Amino acid sequence: MQSQRLSKELNFWGRKVHIHLGLFLLLFIWLFSFSGLLLNHGDWKISNFWDKRKETQIVTPIHASTSSDSSTRLKDIMSQLKIAGEISDVKMWPDSIYFRVSKPGEVRNMEVNFITGVCTQKELQYNLAGKIRTLHSFNGVDKNNPGRQPNWIITDIWRLSMDGIATGLLLLCISSWIMWFKIRERYRWGWFVLILGFGAAIYFIFVLRIL
Amino acid sequence: MKKYYPSVRTLHLYFGLFISPFVLIFSISVIIFNHPGLINRLNPVQNPPTVKTKLDKIPYDSTDLQTAKAIIRKLNINGEIDFISKSDSSISFPVNKPGLKTFIAVNTINDSVLITRKQEGTLRATTYLHSMPGPHNASIRGNSVFLKIWRILTDAVVYVLLFLTFSGVFLWYMLKAERVIGLYAIALGVLFFISILLFIF
Repeated sequence: MQSQRLSKELNFWGRKVHIHLGLFLLLFIWLFSFSGLLLNHGDWKISNFWDKRKETQIVTPIHASTSSDSSTRLKDIMSQLKIAGEISDVKMWPDSIYFRVSKPGEVRNMEVNFITGVCTQKELQYNLAGKIRTLHSFNGVDKNNPGRQPNWIITDIWRLSMDGIATGLLLLCISSWIMWFKIRERYRWGWFVLILGFGAAIYFIFVLRIL
Repeated sequence: MKKYYPSVRTLHLYFGLFISPFVLIFSISVIIFNHPGLINRLNPVQNPPTVKTKLDKIPYDSTDLQTAKAIIRKLNINGEIDFISKSDSSISFPVNKPGLKTFIAVNTINDSVLITRKQEGTLRATTYLHSMPGPHNASIRGNSVFLKIWRILTDAVVYVLLFLTFSGVFLWYMLKAERVIGLYAIALGVLFFISILLFIF
């Protein structure tokens, strides 16, 4: 009796979660589906954002701070230039500093000469397809340096959103199994389809590497 | 519209059940991509000792990919050849499978081979699958049977997922009791989506 009630409750909440979470995530699913297709189909005309990039070079006078700390200097330079983004590839010498500031669809390679007080920005601007493509994998993580954390708050927010969307998709899957299980007698092929899907996934994740 | 409801529901259910394990792979891998430090602690990469061996004569005169394929056939290794580096005296390339990376370096003068393996584990296997086929090395990508199949599967998953979103909206719309709260869910999702993109760009 209690297990029946539990199953009923589980099905009720599973259904609610499935419908409303699915609707909430709708635009994100479209975004990641479309950007995933762009990433996997570089031969599509629309995917070719690199050839359509805009490159500009901007030379700006800058008041170089005297701090020996690279992060203080970077903050100072970025606030003077009024730019924001994820900072990476920082290389500092006594007379100059090089770094990259990235946003989805925008990359700035910066070089500041402390002696001349000149900042040279080489800016790359991508089109909409390029922006969407780079958004797909924009998480501020360097796989060669796993300890590195994002340094731009927007990167953190986007990374957290991606975690949330992934968790939402996991919930959509779990709720779909719960809902189907209740009506499995009516949809008998469900077992076959689910086992087929899991079989293929297990083959790719577990079996392939030992063959 | 109502007459389509049962067939759309059936398709939504079966297609959804079939792709759900793949959606799990893509979702779990996102969390692993975003938190590599955590994964390194939970599931560290294992490096078995490097193996040294020698090959019989290899046909070095064909294309680099054919040469690499001939080498892995002789070594009884299979997987996706990722990229190939070649010099006057060597040819080297990684051969990947989900969760296992093998690096092969061949001295083309004396045919000696160094085989280095990285056992990356199940969690990283999902990230490998997530990033494949991907935008890089397009000219040689898909040189293994498994990746050819995976390429088709990933496309199928995306198209089915898109179908599920449209059929899901249709099914929701037909449920009068869920319409109002569903509209709020869509509005909230749109608001969150637009706000975050405005923040980023």
